[in-house]
Amino acid sequence: MLKKAREQEQTISILVNNQPGVLSRVGGVFGRHGYNIKSLCVAETTNPDVSRITLTSESDPDFTEKIKKQLDKLVDIINVSDVSGQSYIQRELMLIGVTVKEGAYAEILRAIELFGCRIVTMTPDYFILELTGQPDETAAFLKFFQSFGVEEINRTGSIAIERTKPQRRI
Amino acid sequence: METIGADIVIQVLREEGVDVIFGYPGANTLPIHDRLMNSEVRHYLMRHEQAAAHAADGYARATGKVGVCIATSGPGATNLVTGIATAFMDSTPMVALTAQVSTSLLGQDAFQETDIIGITLPITKHSYQVHDVNNLAATLRQAFELAKTGRPGPVLVDLPRDILSSKCPPAEENAAPALKTNYKTEEDREQLEMIAKTLNQSERPILIIGGGVKLSNAFRLVRELIEKAKIPFVTTMMGIGSVDSVNGYNLGLIGTHGNELANRMVHQCDFILAIGTRFSDRSTALIEEFAPLAKIAQLDIDPTSIGKSIKINLPYVGDIRDALTALLPLIDAKEKSDWLLRIQSERDAINGKVTDTGCGQAGDFIRMVQEAMPVETTVTADVGLNQIWTVRTWQARSPRSLITSGGMGTMGFSLPAAIGAKIGSPERAVVAITGDGGFYMNIQELATISYYNLPIKIVVINNGHLGMIRQIQDLFYNARFNTIELGSKVDFVAVARGFGIPGSRIAVDKYPKAGIEAMVKADGPYLLEAVVDPENYVYPIIPPGCSNIEMMYDRLD
Repeated sequence: MLKKAREQEQTISILVNNQPGVLSRVGGVFGRHGYNIKSLCVAETTNPDVSRITLTSESDPDFTEKIKKQLDKLVDIINVSDVSGQSYIQRELMLIGVTVKEGAYAEILRAIELFGCRIVTMTPDYFILELTGQPDETAAFLKFFQSFGVEEINRTGSIAIERTKPQRRI
Repeated sequence: METIGADIVIQVLREEGVDVIFGYPGANTLPIHDRLMNSEVRHYLMRHEQAAAHAADGYARATGKVGVCIATSGPGATNLVTGIATAFMDSTPMVALTAQVSTSLLGQDAFQETDIIGITLPITKHSYQVHDVNNLAATLRQAFELAKTGRPGPVLVDLPRDILSSKCPPAEENAAPALKTNYKTEEDREQLEMIAKTLNQSERPILIIGGGVKLSNAFRLVRELIEKAKIPFVTTMMGIGSVDSVNGYNLGLIGTHGNELANRMVHQCDFILAIGTRFSDRSTALIEEFAPLAKIAQLDIDPTSIGKSIKINLPYVGDIRDALTALLPLIDAKEKSDWLLRIQSERDAINGKVTDTGCGQAGDFIRMVQEAMPVETTVTADVGLNQIWTVRTWQARSPRSLITSGGMGTMGFSLPAAIGAKIGSPERAVVAITGDGGFYMNIQELATISYYNLPIKIVVINNGHLGMIRQIQDLFYNARFNTIELGSKVDFVAVARGFGIPGSRIAVDKYPKAGIEAMVKADGPYLLEAVVDPENYVYPIIPPGCSNIEMMYDRLD
């Protein structure tokens, strides 16, 4: 049964052995339990044998606990943590393509300044904008520019890092 | 001879104490099958890879050791799948070795190439594909360690042919596998004290014994707990035999095909101590109405089994044996209680109401088979009516004496599982009970039994139908019988004779004793076909979507 997309977005961070096939094992756990992965980001850590998977999923309140137990059972998983809370800093990178209609120029430039985003490239009627921010910032950014006409979006999904010096070495 | 990868495989098998494997060779397994010639590992050639997996499973269940099966790449590997899934669902420690095409051919759709790692991802505890012969020994050791520790299960190791045939130095002896322990080992004393306190204060406690008791070898401790606290127990299908079935505190099997007494008392109890069970849907029926008055404590080594389907008041993650060792001294010794008297009066009332076991003549017949066999007999049951008849009437006197596919419900399991059980415990007699439907599904294993002259007693209970499905169509689909008739044209005795196995046919309602005696007297394998009425169902039965106490006793209920 597919879980209804409701409630909060949960972000979890998973340290895994940097090996072929690990991502499909992690993905399999989500799929088998009917959870949809909303965003996913995978990269090496300070230790090249270890990768960090950061993913977000919209799910019910006991999701994190349930999925954490299931993921913990996988041999290639080193650690799973819930990074939705205050002790983590979350960021996402977003690229959007915006249509610029005649007369909207000044307004768009003001918004770009306001959001602190960057024009990556532009033609007279089309801008590619880049924004890095917390999930709520990128959401507001997207919503605002949709009123001008967003032709294309690509985003990295959230990554997260602990605010304080980590207790354990990877 | 120079050492090659295949020698490493055999070396680790020997280190792990493996002296028997079940398999089927193919082009890509040949390095292993070649080197097996010089080893002490006996290889039983099955007639189908699925049966090799079931035999390894039966071997593991009968002995408590890790079962090992081997198949070639491609179809050999995919044929193992049902057997691996069966072992996974019932937490059998198993190592499945699959050969693979050479690493240079991987991903090229080479002859007999298949992504067996991908196919078995959700039905293995873990899987490995070996890419470097220098990692082979460590990988295999890890596979064995994983298969038997924590909640046991099948682990698959995929072995490309070039790895098996590459030259390498002999592996270092017994290098310890570097592995994360993904189960809790420290003892949560406080929680055990809470469990003990709640049990001591409860008035109507019940123990639910699951398959985990066998997997952790905690039989003696569970029995001590029962006798000290005078606590009645029920079992799940996987838990049958953990404590001698004739123990006076035994209320029987719970669940959709369980005993009325067991289901009723669970419904009335005020405290459940669940040991090594995951509260499967077959055990609980309608979960919302399961044990409505009870506080539940659950001991299990697998954190994901705790509270998966039902709210647990007192969870405890850890090895059952360790938990019970610490728990026992905290439990008050009790005398006979009102609860036990109440159970006795319920028992008398049910016995007065129901004259047979609910299994009809088929049940009586199975009882006669058990009576004729030595006490030290292992029985394997297939899936369907024959399974329920067997688990409800066969008195499992010792923990590993009753073997059946519980979670997966795999038809065709009992015959190959009996092969594994017989080879694993040659000192015990082995009876394989099956229906006609399940018998067809691995009928080719008669050839294995005959070839190795394994003295297995095969009981085919033949009702010419898929009996359990027939019962469901009869009761819940307005007796619209469809696609369930297997017919009566096949002469199973002649089939057995064709395979070199003697046999005879009896009807369960007409002097079955002579046939049973002939079977018991036979030195080698023997097939007894027992014809039974297709309307010999099993009662009571819980209709789909109902609670455990809404039992039907016949189709007019």
